[in-house]
Amino acid sequence: MNQPKIAVDLILKRMAESSEQVKSRARKASEVLLGPLETDLATTPHEIVYQEDRMRLKHYKPEKVKHKYPLLLVYALINRETMLDLQPERSVITNFMKEGIEVYMIDWGYPTRKDQFLTIDDHVNGYMDNVVDFIRKRHNLPQINLMGICMGGAFSVMYSSLHPEKIKNLVTTVTPTNFDTDKGLLHIWMKQTNADLLEEGYGNMPGDLMNLGFLLLNPARLIIDKYIGFFENMDNRTFVENFVRMEKWIFDSPDVPGATFRQFVVDCYQKNLLIQNKLELDGKRVDLKNITMPLLNIYGKFDHLVPPEACERLTREVGSKDTEDQCLNTGHIGIYVSSKCQELFAPKIAGWLKEREPEPKKKKTAAKSTTGKTAAARKTAKAEEPAKKSASAKSSGSKKTKAASGTSRAKKTQKTGTGS
Amino acid sequence: MEQEKTGENYAEAFFADWMKSAMNFWGEMAKTQPDFPGGFGMDFTPRSTKSAEQARKMWETGGKIFQSLFSTASRPDSVEEALKGIDAVPDLIMTMARQSWDGYYELQKQWMDRAAKFNYQTKAYNFEDIDQETFKAVRDLYEREFQKFLKVPSLGLTRFYQDKFNNTIDKYNIFVTAISEFIYMFYVPIEKTGVVMQEKLEEMAEQGQFFDDFKDYYNMWIKILEGHYMTLLQSPEYTDVMDKTIQALVHYREAKEELVSDILRNLPVPTNREMDELYKDLYVLKKKVRDLSKKVEGNGNLAAETK
Repeated sequence: MNQPKIAVDLILKRMAESSEQVKSRARKASEVLLGPLETDLATTPHEIVYQEDRMRLKHYKPEKVKHKYPLLLVYALINRETMLDLQPERSVITNFMKEGIEVYMIDWGYPTRKDQFLTIDDHVNGYMDNVVDFIRKRHNLPQINLMGICMGGAFSVMYSSLHPEKIKNLVTTVTPTNFDTDKGLLHIWMKQTNADLLEEGYGNMPGDLMNLGFLLLNPARLIIDKYIGFFENMDNRTFVENFVRMEKWIFDSPDVPGATFRQFVVDCYQKNLLIQNKLELDGKRVDLKNITMPLLNIYGKFDHLVPPEACERLTREVGSKDTEDQCLNTGHIGIYVSSKCQELFAPKIAGWLKEREPEPKKKKTAAKSTTGKTAAARKTAKAEEPAKKSASAKSSGSKKTKAASGTSRAKKTQKTGTGS
Repeated sequence: MEQEKTGENYAEAFFADWMKSAMNFWGEMAKTQPDFPGGFGMDFTPRSTKSAEQARKMWETGGKIFQSLFSTASRPDSVEEALKGIDAVPDLIMTMARQSWDGYYELQKQWMDRAAKFNYQTKAYNFEDIDQETFKAVRDLYEREFQKFLKVPSLGLTRFYQDKFNNTIDKYNIFVTAISEFIYMFYVPIEKTGVVMQEKLEEMAEQGQFFDDFKDYYNMWIKILEGHYMTLLQSPEYTDVMDKTIQALVHYREAKEELVSDILRNLPVPTNREMDELYKDLYVLKKKVRDLSKKVEGNGNLAAETK
């Protein structure tokens, strides 16, 4: 009799072992699930310093402020800003505070039916502008640093173009600006979405409907595999706590004001107006060439929502000569929550901002007298210096710096030449 | 002959008798209330005698009209006409039932055809062969055979309400058809993954390979499934079905809201439409106030700078 090709006895042995493991795991899991769990989000102490309609401004003050300019974080209207402060060990906010940055963060709140008419203009030139003015006044500063996340990044780009005099440095993270790509499923779907109909039918775009859409982006992983993973690790308290925190954040989805949703889908996803300098907010054109302040553009290589193709064009289109692209080997959310990125993300931004803070006058004078460069040369050198410094900074991803790249600079000159 | 006819139209005779008794009943009722509305054991003051007399006359007149209507209705020719109308009802039901049965038969045929094709149509990572014919058949069947009953023009005082009700039912049916197709689309990758897994396992068995950990099989399955979903979700077929489902959902929601609004109109509750109008006014006003405040502030600053 021939030997069977598959060792059935071994399989049965493994199955018996597995069933033992499952039994033991189930016993521990019940202890974990029935016991006390720490699953609170956004526990970093903060103060609400400004409020307008549903929007609130959170203020996080570090023990020792090491940066002159405070940083305003603008989150997307989709999901909540609590993602930046998921838990003490994995909190972008805490990491910024450790770097001595005074952080302000907009909490867009939960739009109700009365907010359905609010447009992008109301968010950018209304709420955001009021918040920026409030912080400037509070700190007696003409400018502040601005950082946008995803859709909030797009809002920040629009804001910086319309109010460049109020922004010292701009940081965009996983920010879509070029919507003419078929790389992300969202980009494919949005092109066919009848946003007018949704606005008419629903008023505000329901958060649950959007969440369903996000789950359908990768059903195998997000609806099946994720929960299989949970069942496999139910006996691990830390895993369960982190998992529940993430679940809380994912399904805490405020509705998006109908008019803003429609405008974002039609003007950005369908017509791609932003990157072409054709977008208008209440009659005011958003010209990316007005963005002359330093720009740091961070995005994820494996981002399935906002792929690199949707992000990387921004630095080539703005008017600033001091720009840097930073592509991290992670996804859309991983940038903010993965432990590996936690070590890189906030320190990188803090370092980049610090390099662009004005040096003490004494040092400046010394530099002037020693180098003897012309004003224009000094300006270029100053723009290049921080970029060169940051090029040598430790990072896990790839990076492109306009000021440091000869090709990009040549391209820029050529463009200007043609234009003139 | 006369008797025969009466015997044949027993229903007519019964209907006429019923009409007559009803007529007599309302006639007697009018007579028993000579001082209505002071009747029913209630005593009215002399002041109300005149109005009571008027009311009695109105009651009598009303009773007479009612009696004459009943008399007309109980005439044999009228009864015959009315019964003809009643006879037509089973015909209508029969037509509906026949059409429903034909449609259902057609649908079953489609299902049987599909069941026969099971496992033969699946190609890995290819969604051009998705069987959308079944859903197309359901849609066609509904539009051809059922939708028209909901589109029958409504008449009378309540026609608007009836229209809205029918519209809601119609939109609901369309939505259910759309969501069924959408769910089916999500099932297709699972079916395809099953087939691919079967092939892979056969290959592995032939080569004497096997995983000793079940998790490895699961990992293989989920990877194949993910690949299938990625292919499906990018396909124009999927985008089209998703778009149609969303549209059907929104249309159903709108129809339902219209219906609910009508119900709410009779309650002291504002409807969404009314609130939306109010919110819009509030939004415009707030925006104007904000713009004006900024202008005033700007002018104030300018004046201060000039000083």
